[in-house]
Parts: sequence; structure tokens; C-alpha cells
Amino acid sequence: MKVTRRDLLVWSAGATAGLLFTPVPWKLLDDVSIWSQNWPWIPQPTRGPVDVKLSFCTLCPNGCGMRVRMAGGWPVGVAGAGCHPVSRGALCPLGFAAHQLNWHPRRLSRVCYRGNTSSWGEARVAFTKACGEGPIMIIDGHPGRAASSAFETFVQRRGSYRVVPGQETRALAPYGTWSGIPAAALGYDLENAGTIVSFGAPLLDGWGTPGRLTRLWAERAAGLADPQLHLIQVEPSFSRTAARAWQYVTIRAGGEGAVAEGVARVLLEEHLVPARGPMPSLTLVEVAEQAGVSTDAIRDLARTIVARPPVVAVADDNNPAIAALNVVLGAVGARGGIVRRSKHIRQDVCAEAAIRGMRAVLIDSTVPWDFVPQTDAEVFRFAAWDGGSTKADWLLPAPGFLEDLTDVPTAPTSGMETYAVAPSLAEAPTEVQSAAQFLSSIDPTLVTVDKVIHTRCSEIFRQRMGTLWGQDVTPVAKFVSVQKLEEELWKGAVWIGEPHHAGGLRCQLNDWPEAIGPARTSNASPPWLVPVLPSLASKLYQESGLRESPEGRSA
Amino acid sequence: MARTPLVFGLGLAVALLVGWVAFPRVLYVQRHQPLEFRHKTHAEKSGIVQCSECHAFRDDGTFAGIPSIAICTACHSERIGTTNAEATLVENYIKPGQETPWLVYARQPANVWFPHAVHVQRAALECRECHSPYGESDEVRIYQLNRVSGYSRDIWGPSISRLRRAPHEGMKMSDCEDCHRRRNVEVGCIGCHQ
Repeated sequence: MKVTRRDLLVWSAGATAGLLFTPVPWKLLDDVSIWSQNWPWIPQPTRGPVDVKLSFCTLCPNGCGMRVRMAGGWPVGVAGAGCHPVSRGALCPLGFAAHQLNWHPRRLSRVCYRGNTSSWGEARVAFTKACGEGPIMIIDGHPGRAASSAFETFVQRRGSYRVVPGQETRALAPYGTWSGIPAAALGYDLENAGTIVSFGAPLLDGWGTPGRLTRLWAERAAGLADPQLHLIQVEPSFSRTAARAWQYVTIRAGGEGAVAEGVARVLLEEHLVPARGPMPSLTLVEVAEQAGVSTDAIRDLARTIVARPPVVAVADDNNPAIAALNVVLGAVGARGGIVRRSKHIRQDVCAEAAIRGMRAVLIDSTVPWDFVPQTDAEVFRFAAWDGGSTKADWLLPAPGFLEDLTDVPTAPTSGMETYAVAPSLAEAPTEVQSAAQFLSSIDPTLVTVDKVIHTRCSEIFRQRMGTLWGQDVTPVAKFVSVQKLEEELWKGAVWIGEPHHAGGLRCQLNDWPEAIGPARTSNASPPWLVPVLPSLASKLYQESGLRESPEGRSA
Repeated sequence: MARTPLVFGLGLAVALLVGWVAFPRVLYVQRHQPLEFRHKTHAEKSGIVQCSECHAFRDDGTFAGIPSIAICTACHSERIGTTNAEATLVENYIKPGQETPWLVYARQPANVWFPHAVHVQRAALECRECHSPYGESDEVRIYQLNRVSGYSRDIWGPSISRLRRAPHEGMKMSDCEDCHRRRNVEVGCIGCHQ
């Protein structure tokens, strides 16, 4: 029997039809999809014992508690730590994926000098030479850490130390100016507030310690717990915080300060609060015109906010009108308002973009990428990820997430003093160094981070104040030795200081402060380079709606 | 008899034969475990009755999985038998202090987080509900490696069609979902893919 071309085609058709009734195509589709997850260039966690360690997120100064799942000694998963007394198990979306950042394509892995590959040795020689030729400046993004102490010690005889404060710390600046207490020592006692009036602050979108407000809102604002918390959002755009708030007041862009003045005027005129501050200069009609709301709406807002005390106003910037409203409300130095959480913090000098008279500027990896120094000095910039800087002469690769030992001082908005230690959980690549390690290699007498942490632990033990929150809650006074206390802190416990005492903070205003320019000029958030983090992270960060553009705030 | 249906049927039959008989044999490659290990013998001689006596939970609640060589060393620090497996265990792993490179039948991809503590301690699932009564067997199973995906055949299950499976046959995501659905326990994506 002769096999024809037609036979072959018919046979193939039969075979094809038959294959569809076998597992071949369907099983191969499944297997190939799994195979594609295991391509050699995709980083795979090491096989090994799985362990869970408590640590803290160090991407921003808020230091949320996290449970880090380790496989074979490498972090492979992150979840919120429910035992953390401030973040209470919540993390921002970026924190949840933070362990992936160490493998990001824009991770810095080599020393660069003006775009060309260089070495740590050459960077060291250049910085040592600069130290000998003139004053230097070290700029820190997360002040108060052990590394910050090392920076301050290094520049004591060589130059100056500056900080780049976060947005939340900037918002507390007017109270610092009026009271003489550093803004970094102040915080919000939100847990005891009855009403929070937010003037554009993204309270439920990652403001401060992201989990703190989210938890508070979930427990009290939703009416599940008593007393119910009222969150009133005064904002030009219908943000996520506005959408979830108890009340949303829409205003014209840049009208936050005017609304604060209007509310203060109504409070004083109608004697809704005791007379604690000066009468604002703007009339209600002027306020209504500037803010785009009716005078009746302002009166209603003023009456509403005092209905459920204590009341605190939260600003998104350092607008003095909103701070003055807090003075009028009696929220400064009071329970449920602005409180002084620490007595031992001194005022740091803020870094300005224009830097003069310096031979060299060293920028720590905690400084956001949007801080670009305008200077002729030689700039040594540490960073774990390339954020697109064009102003740094030296780009120095820094440890990534959980690759470096650091301590976590009090979060900027916290109403309580806290302290924690985030040990290095992942082995850093050999090519990276932290700024503190770099400075230690130049000045071997410089105090190391672990020694500063030990000193701070000893100080907490010596004072025998506060409580340690770990797997158990233990008063510091019950620890028999500093070693035990330090051991617990290294294992992920958090020290909480004594509760603040209302009355330690006083602001006296004789005249209503002059309002600064409008906080916003447009509802649209222009694209921006996220601080510190690379493009993928910035996309995640931006899409998560955690914060709006800093340009949008300052414009 | 018409020639065309015959040829078509022949092609169909060959494809069915290849797909159902030859394909599974080609897809999986057989690997032997490094040691002959007999669960039943160990249970009888040592008086072990609970899986968790060797496959233990750590103090922090995480599951230790396959016992480390330290647990084997407790009894096998010296040879206590005459079998080749005994000699291999003592000479190749215990004396050098190396972990036995067991081939793990139930190993999941790295992006899966399966908390044993939640399933065993909180939901009170029996080990056999996912792992079969393997702990009662007196033979070491051959490990079948999927040439394409790189995972064990136990993940897909022994039946290539995945029809008429026993509850413990298969550890695909759909198997997890089915079990959760049956027990009215819903979890989101992040529950397992953290």
C-alpha cells in the first residue's frame, strides 16, 4: 500500500486532534509556566532552614516592626510584627516588598567617580585629602541613629553636621520655633485625640508610621471602639485619606492656612474655646474667598471639631497658621495633641540645598535623592540604589535593606519615645560600605555603630525607665543586667519610654503668625523621583498613594 | 472501508498512546534517595508514634521539616546495623557532619509560603491528609523529577490526568484552594504568596 501525501496530512490531523485529548499540551503549558519562574537570572532564595526574625524597616525613619522570614540565612519574606506597640503589625506596601530591593537592577555595586568606575581606595584617598584641605559637611537623612553619632563625632573638628528632616518633622517646626524645644523632640498624641483635623496630611496613606493611623482608624474611627475618633480631612483633592475620613471638607488649592485662620476666628468669636491665642487677621469673608468655602461651612467646621475633644490639627507642611490653630485649640502640650516626648534631643541644623565654604560634602544613604546639593564642594554620596543623581562626584554603594546594623530611634510623629535595634540580617555584598564604615576606615579612633548601640542600651538600663516590648512586655526595671536587655533588643524588642507628661510644652502667641504661601497650587501631582529608592520602588510607592509629590507640596 | 477515516484514526490512536502512556514516562526522570529510609521500621524500633517527634516544630512555631543529621546522630553515631544504608549514613553523613541531601517530595516553589503550624496545630489536619500515609510505609519511594518544571511529581500528583485523585494526591495551588473551599477558609493571594 502506497503512502500518499494526503495520507500523511490526514494522519497528522488525526494525531493533532488526538493530542488535544491527551495531557501533553495542558501539562506542558503548566510546566513551562513554572519553568519560566526558574530562569537562571531570577534570584532564588537559598535552600536551608526557615526561620523568622523580628526586625525593623529602615527604609524610612518610622521603623515599623517586621517579621522577616529567613531561608538559609537570607530574608525571603516580610510581614508586619503584631507585637510592635506603634505599627502593630501594619506595613506600607513598600515595606512588604523591601526584601526584594536588594536584587533590584539599579542596585549600586561599584564605586563611581564622575560616571567612571573607581575604587574604595581612591574614594578614601580623595576624602582624606579633602578633610585635610578644608571643612567638610556630613548630611544625614535619619538623625538620631548610632551612625548619626559617629557622623557628629567625625565632623567635630572637621566641619559641620546637617540633617534633612522629613515632611512630618518639618510640620512640627513652628512649635519648635515658638517653644524653643527642638521639633524633633515633639510628636502627636493621636491615640488620645477625639478629633483629628488634617489639613492635607495623608494620614491614612502612609503619614508617619503607616500602621499607626491605619490601626487607629480601623479601631476607633470606624466606630468599633469607644470613644469614636473623628477624622476631618481638609484638602483640595479627594485623596484616599479624604475618601476614608469621617468628614471631608473640599477647599481651593493652597487654602489650608486660610481655613485654619477662619476656624480659629470662629472658635474665638463664638467662645467655643477659652481665649488662648490672638485673633486672626483675616475676616471670615476673606477666608471664604481665599479657601473657596462658604462662611457657613467654616462656622460649621469650627463647631464640629470642638464637639469631640481633645482636638488636634495636623498639617502637611510647616504652615504656621495651622500650628497657631492648635495653640487656640489648646492642643499644644496637652493630652491628645502635640506633646513633648523627649527631653534629651537637641536641635539639629537643617541642610540647605545651597552649601558654601565647604571642601567636601558627604551625603548619607538615608538622605532622599531629591535633595541635590548646590555646591562647588566635592560631593561623596552614599546610596544603595541609583536614584539618578547628577550632582555627586563620588557615588558610593551602600548596604541595602537589612544589610547593615543600625538602631531605630523614635519615629518622627510618635508621641512616645522608642528605641530599637535592627541587626544586619542579610549579608552585604563585598563591594558595599556604609558611610559610618567608610569614616571609620579613615579615622580608626571613630566610635563604631555597635559601640554606640551598646552605650545607648546601657543608658536605658541605667535609667531603669520604660518598658521592653518583645514576645513579652517587660518593664526595664525587671532586667537584671544590661546584657539581657541588649540581647532582647537585638532579638527585635522595642523599648518604649515613660508616657509623656502634658504640660512640658508651651507656645505663647502674641500675634497671629504670617501665613506662608499656599501649600499647593494644583491638584495634580507631577512625576517625581522618589527619595532614596529606585524606579521600580518609586512606581510602587507612587501607585500605593502613600505620599504625594514633594514638589506638589512645596510649589 | 474508507481509507481516510482509517488513517485519521491511526494518527489519533498514536497521539493518544503517546500522550497517555509515553509522555508521562518521558516527562519524569527517576531519582533515588541518598539513603534507604524506612519509616515503619523506625517507628517500631524506636517507639515513635507521632510524626512531630522527628518532623518537629521549633520553639517559635516554625516547622523544621526533615530532621537534621543531629537527630539521626542521636542513635546512629556508630553503626547499629549491617545494611549498606547504615554504612552510608554513618560514613558519608554523620561522621563528616553533613546533612543528608534528601530529595523532598513536597517541596514547593520559593514564592509559596506554607505555614505548617497553621494547618497542623490550628486546623488540626492530619499529616497524611497532604502527605499520604507514607509514614506507615516500609519503603523509600523513588523521587520523580519533572524535567521541565524541576519539581517533584508529587506536586502534580501520580495521575497524569489529575482525575479521580485521592485527597492527598497533588499539591498544586488548585488543591490548596479546593481544600480551603471545602473547609470554608478563604485566604487572599498574600496569604500564601507573601
